[in-house]
Amino acid sequence: MIYTELTVWTRGIIMDKEGRDIVNSVSAAARLEGKFAQAMENYVDNPDRTNAPTRKYCRVSDRVIENALTYENENPNIVVLVEGTMVKGWDYMRGMPPGGTLIINTHYSPEYMIRFVPGRERLSQLVCVDAAKLADHKWLYYRLGELGLDRLSTEGAAERNKAIAPDIAAPLIAAVVKTTGIVQIETIEPMIANKKAFQAALDELHVMPLNAVAV
Amino acid sequence: MSTKGTRIPERLMITFAGITPAPTQEKGQDLFPTGNWRSIRPVYRDKLPPCNNACGTNEKIQGYLDLVKRGKYLDAYALIKEDMPFPSVTGRVCYHPCEQACNRGKYDEAISIRAVERFLGDLGQSLKQDVVKAGPPNGKKVAIVGSGPAGHSAAYQLARLGYAVTILEKSPKAGGLNRGGIPVWVLPPKILDREIERLVELGVTIKTGVEVGKDITWDDLKKNYDACVLAVGLTEPNSVRAEGENKEGVIYGLPFLRDIGMGTSKVKLGRRVVVIGGGNTAIDCAREALRQGAVEVTMITVEANSDEMPASPEDLHDMLEEGVELRHGRAMTAVLGNGKVEAIQLHPARFAGAINASPINIDRSAAAERFEADNVIIAVGQRASLGWLPDEFKNERGTIKSDKFGRLGNTNFFAAGDVVQLGAGQPLMVVNAVGDGKRVAFNLDKVLRGEPLQPRTVPVDVLFDLNRMNMTYFPHFQRVQQTLLPPTSRKKTSNEVIQGFSQQQAVDEAGRCFSCGTCNACDNCYLVCPEPCIVRGARSNGLYKILVDYCKGCRVCIEECPTGCLEGVPELDFDSGVVRMDTAFAITPGLHGRQAEQLRQLAQQTPKNI
Repeated sequence: MIYTELTVWTRGIIMDKEGRDIVNSVSAAARLEGKFAQAMENYVDNPDRTNAPTRKYCRVSDRVIENALTYENENPNIVVLVEGTMVKGWDYMRGMPPGGTLIINTHYSPEYMIRFVPGRERLSQLVCVDAAKLADHKWLYYRLGELGLDRLSTEGAAERNKAIAPDIAAPLIAAVVKTTGIVQIETIEPMIANKKAFQAALDELHVMPLNAVAV
Repeated sequence: MSTKGTRIPERLMITFAGITPAPTQEKGQDLFPTGNWRSIRPVYRDKLPPCNNACGTNEKIQGYLDLVKRGKYLDAYALIKEDMPFPSVTGRVCYHPCEQACNRGKYDEAISIRAVERFLGDLGQSLKQDVVKAGPPNGKKVAIVGSGPAGHSAAYQLARLGYAVTILEKSPKAGGLNRGGIPVWVLPPKILDREIERLVELGVTIKTGVEVGKDITWDDLKKNYDACVLAVGLTEPNSVRAEGENKEGVIYGLPFLRDIGMGTSKVKLGRRVVVIGGGNTAIDCAREALRQGAVEVTMITVEANSDEMPASPEDLHDMLEEGVELRHGRAMTAVLGNGKVEAIQLHPARFAGAINASPINIDRSAAAERFEADNVIIAVGQRASLGWLPDEFKNERGTIKSDKFGRLGNTNFFAAGDVVQLGAGQPLMVVNAVGDGKRVAFNLDKVLRGEPLQPRTVPVDVLFDLNRMNMTYFPHFQRVQQTLLPPTSRKKTSNEVIQGFSQQQAVDEAGRCFSCGTCNACDNCYLVCPEPCIVRGARSNGLYKILVDYCKGCRVCIEECPTGCLEGVPELDFDSGVVRMDTAFAITPGLHGRQAEQLRQLAQQTPKNI
């Protein structure tokens, strides 16, 4: 089982599209580069509820990925938290092999956030990116009254903006590709709608290098 | 909720077939601690209501209105007495800056706070024994010079702190401005007398007929007392420097009111009286003149219209109702008559700069206007008489030079009230003097105990913005109006013009309070929380608690808090509240995870084994 696993933790409904955009664009870019890739959502999480924790998965490999029937990443090399508060909520580090990367959307520094991370000894780097600010995020995601129509379905049926990463996903994708090299920046950039935020994020990542130890 | 993939902790395992406890059952929430859904955490954080902030002595107005609303009148009275020694007086005379600041004023009509205060003050007057007790004696003696609002307040607070307080009063009766500056039809003498009795009951000694500088010197004060508060007020009336101002029939506002208040007045007013000035004292003089027998009373002001007058709009309205005429934009330049006032001479005039705080430009080139009058009452402000004070403590304004704590240099002398507030740039009120007296008393206490004085630097969050509250909970209700005696009959008598609230009226009015930014135990958060995660013992202000383990940050309590005391704080600002979820959403080896190994081997298996 030689492949890189990317797990995105996101909030049900209100940030569902952001999570989906990250795994879809990374896997599509990988295929363009001639790699093999899978992207899927986890329906066990029952994501049709606002704010419920939801996971999106992506696998990238140079060889054919034989595991086509398991819909969960058990050993994620890269974990993305689309919403910063999730850092307190779950053991999202479970199963991560040593040398992993954790990327958090937050305006706090990695030095502040590291206190909340379980199993930090497995990380080789902690990356914080203020995606909401970089993408000039207009609405507060926790204000239900301000949610647009495009936030009301996890199926994508009612989403008005069908572009890939028009909002806070763009800086997060930049963080993933720049700090892990899972795909090339040049391959993925044309897919991203919010190019301004994508480019800005490349220069504004807060990376905390760590010494990963095997556990 | 699906429990597929849930790893149920041992202690929650139930022996009979796979049934897990519901969240409402005992320990049920241990299984589903939804707290980790939360990106913001609701926090109870009381703000300062604008009324408390605006009050000169920072009375806990929201607090006593809430208690009155619940029928706890004695508690309300005790609360008001923390900051205000004589609520029955301010309940009548205060120009209620609290009502101007009241957020309800932006919505329909401000709460009638002064009337509720008067209701409580009158309740206190009827008590056999006051709720306030003197503190345990600390053996220190303090002299208070002056028994006006500032001196009364300082004496009251110091007595509560255990000091032996002596008030030195120049006049034959204690009360200062409360007695000598406020007409009896606003504040009946028996009300003030009772409040002064209360002060004596606290152990305060009041010596009347003692004038500082004459009967007692600065050095005596220094020698005989551990500390001293100078609350001498502004006793000397200002003149308008008009020609012939010394003619018979010209009187000054403050002495006019003071003599009537002290019962020593010998003034006989003629038929036509002119009042010079546009402030509150001038209004009181004009209305008092009617009660002293004048028939035609005219007020002459430099201000161009009544809106510019530095006076309470209510008093102005009541005065006009009683038939006082107003003439604006004029200044008196001469008093005409042969030894006695027969008329006055007026010229157009206006303030050179800011209203009531700058020199007056008189247009003497314009034709002089003659105005017939039998008496002239000049009420254009007053100044201090500080001949007895060492020069080092006088400032260029002719008042006492003190630091921001009210202290005179490094001495144990403090000053409070009008004698230090002069030049504050706004009309001075009894309540400001009371606040001054209170603060100076606490500062004096600190100095005598050797503690450092500290300015108030704590940032205060005052809730001014209605958007920070949930206004859907507040239906429009009209203000309960106080009854007034009819203008035609009241101007002939000394009866109190404004009548007090009944018990029901006070409760109704207190019930209109928004309780801006402060928990008032409305129970809304407790009822609307979709998780049972808000708990309380007794239903009481500020005794609500949020069980953060179960709060999923849905914001319903914050949105539905009528008063705005609940606010959302980003969850990541808290170090606490880390809940690694161990339930359905945990990344435990779920259904697919458990099958993974089996699925991986699927390709190697022969078809018949599938």
